[in-house]
Amino acid sequence: MSTPSPRSPGRTPARTRRASSTPSRAWSVFALPGTAWLAVFFAVPLYAVAAIAFGRIDPVFRNALPAWNPLRWEFATFADVLGEIVAGELRGVAVRTVLFVVVAVFCSLAIGYPVAYYLARSAGRTKTLILVLIVLPFWVSYLMRMLAWVNLLQRDGLVARFTSLFGIEHNWLDGSATAVTLGLVYGYVPFLILPLYATLERLDWRLVEAARDLGASPRQAFWRVTVPLSRPGVAAGLMLVALPMLGDYYTNDILSRSPRTEMLGNQIDFYLNAGTQPQRGAVLVLVLSFVLACLAWWYVRDNARSQEVR
Amino acid sequence: MPHYARGGFSRLTRRLTRRQFVARSISATVGAAALTRALSACGPTTDSNTALVIGTPESPVTLPTVGEPIADGLAPESGTLSVYNYADYVNPETIAAFEEQFDVKVELSIYDTEEIALAKMRSGGVRPDLIIGLTDSVLARFVAAELLQPLNKSYLTNFGNVIEGLRDPYYDLGAQYTVPYVIYTTGIGYRTDRGVDTSAFVGDEGWSQMWNPAYAGRAGVLDSYRDTISMALYRNGVYDPNSNDADALAQAGSDLEALAEAVRPQVDILAYQEIAAGNRDISLCWSGDMLAGVGYLPEGTSPDVLGFWYPQNSFTANDFFCIPRESQKPVLAHALVDFLLDTDNSLANQAFVGYQPALDALTAEALVDAGAIPESLVSSLVTPASFAAGKRLVSLTPEVDALWLDAWSRFTTG
Repeated sequence: MSTPSPRSPGRTPARTRRASSTPSRAWSVFALPGTAWLAVFFAVPLYAVAAIAFGRIDPVFRNALPAWNPLRWEFATFADVLGEIVAGELRGVAVRTVLFVVVAVFCSLAIGYPVAYYLARSAGRTKTLILVLIVLPFWVSYLMRMLAWVNLLQRDGLVARFTSLFGIEHNWLDGSATAVTLGLVYGYVPFLILPLYATLERLDWRLVEAARDLGASPRQAFWRVTVPLSRPGVAAGLMLVALPMLGDYYTNDILSRSPRTEMLGNQIDFYLNAGTQPQRGAVLVLVLSFVLACLAWWYVRDNARSQEVR
Repeated sequence: MPHYARGGFSRLTRRLTRRQFVARSISATVGAAALTRALSACGPTTDSNTALVIGTPESPVTLPTVGEPIADGLAPESGTLSVYNYADYVNPETIAAFEEQFDVKVELSIYDTEEIALAKMRSGGVRPDLIIGLTDSVLARFVAAELLQPLNKSYLTNFGNVIEGLRDPYYDLGAQYTVPYVIYTTGIGYRTDRGVDTSAFVGDEGWSQMWNPAYAGRAGVLDSYRDTISMALYRNGVYDPNSNDADALAQAGSDLEALAEAVRPQVDILAYQEIAAGNRDISLCWSGDMLAGVGYLPEGTSPDVLGFWYPQNSFTANDFFCIPRESQKPVLAHALVDFLLDTDNSLANQAFVGYQPALDALTAEALVDAGAIPESLVSSLVTPASFAAGKRLVSLTPEVDALWLDAWSRFTTG
């Protein structure tokens, strides 16, 4: 038989190389803190949420009675909530959440890409200043920034007073989707700009110049070279803004408080914090976690493929 | 690309020997079982087998006694008194006067709804010395959870100031656990300078103003499912804020969905701030909210811009003070309750809180005479007759409560 056996001498050097490149067990000790952190702050809480979701509710006090033993899990509430998401009263909330996030992510990209592009290509000496200005809001808590917007946008706020100078009377805080969506964009757009800037900064601009030398117009070079090469940064940025937006609830709580702008996060907050239906809240947490995990999985795969292409 | 990124799991499993696989499976199972046992110890896992003792005006109750009141003649504790209360529901100046008199500190913690207060106190997340603002709609559950301690009236020298009809209330005969704080009704607060059609506030149709699309984006309702659903019930002529009629409650839920669609109301308990600040023109609120709102008007704004519609068919309530069973400073807690039952202190407290004290001496007329009430808000005052005429929100049985929550869920999902 001409095919070499895996044990044939011809394979020995490869095996030796692999063995030498395999990390020793001692190095795995370094993973312990991270593993312990994940177990304590992710796996156990997630299991607790599942125990509540598949447990029961005290009929008198309406508190959760978690079922810690998976053999005793009950799936009736889980099925009910899933049914409501598909074709019940929660469908509107789910659709609205996705819609708000899609619009907000699109707006963030529309705002963030030009800013990141400018920073990477043309900012020059002002680059540091602009980066500081982008990061500066993070020094103030998200809650405070949103409350500041409430003051600005309320009827006698600065924005309303300014627009009234031009005869524009608009109630921004009218419980409509606009305020919530804009709030999401404002709150999360820096998360998109920074990874996108990092990608564009490292981009090999000689490829763009080559495209131009080969006759591509600036627009063609941008769409056919810059955009495809910045795709990992775009994907990272989209993930960083879409994931927290999907679970966001305080933006709506502060800027609207209307049932017409309720998102899944608000429903979770309502079910869990109002102290009346924690089981349904836990089910929604699981559903939302699953959706977020799918998005994260897509991102990891996409990122891995991009690296393969390189 | 890292070598384990694709098909990593199957490669890893292929590397395991059978012995390793069995050993790791056993370890995982034992670990999971230990974790399950550890987590099981963290909280209750079985139903509470408790029957609620619910008093109604027609059927007053003596609540079961849990524990003993504190002994007579004890000296007030020193240090910090922890008080659990709604936001802006006690005058900081009155509290400062108490702190000075007793040389102590008062620390306020805030809750938004009674359900949250119940859940947090049951879980041990909050351990106050005194709780302010509970009503009889949750009292039965607080008592069933054994969260309250019986009061010792020997420390409440001002208890005689309480409205006579509330000294021996139907929800707590003998006032074992509760001392009335304020009285109020639920109605509609509005701005008089924003074109609200006050002529429409007539009979049950007055409630329909809350559904008027003219107020879209400028309206609010209470983040209290009992009050807001009761509004929808009353609008439909169902004068029972404790209804167990599934059809009526389902209809109320549908009506509230329509309200959300038509008006996009804000759902909170901040009418006293939002209407006063001019952010809202109309809101379902408690009568005391508009009186409290006077203090939140922008400088130079006349109190006459605030109005309140007191419905003909109404539901009234009173909040009360309770001392938790695990209060660390029960004598000091009694002292603060007694301090706030003093007529002068109560009047000072009312100037900030807005709500009418549940004291005999501070009648609607007395408050008007004292200049504490703007003319436009005299309609928000609760008289003995109107208080007695209003239906009371009482505790619901778990089955009926579930119907109410279903209706509320339909509304909050928009």
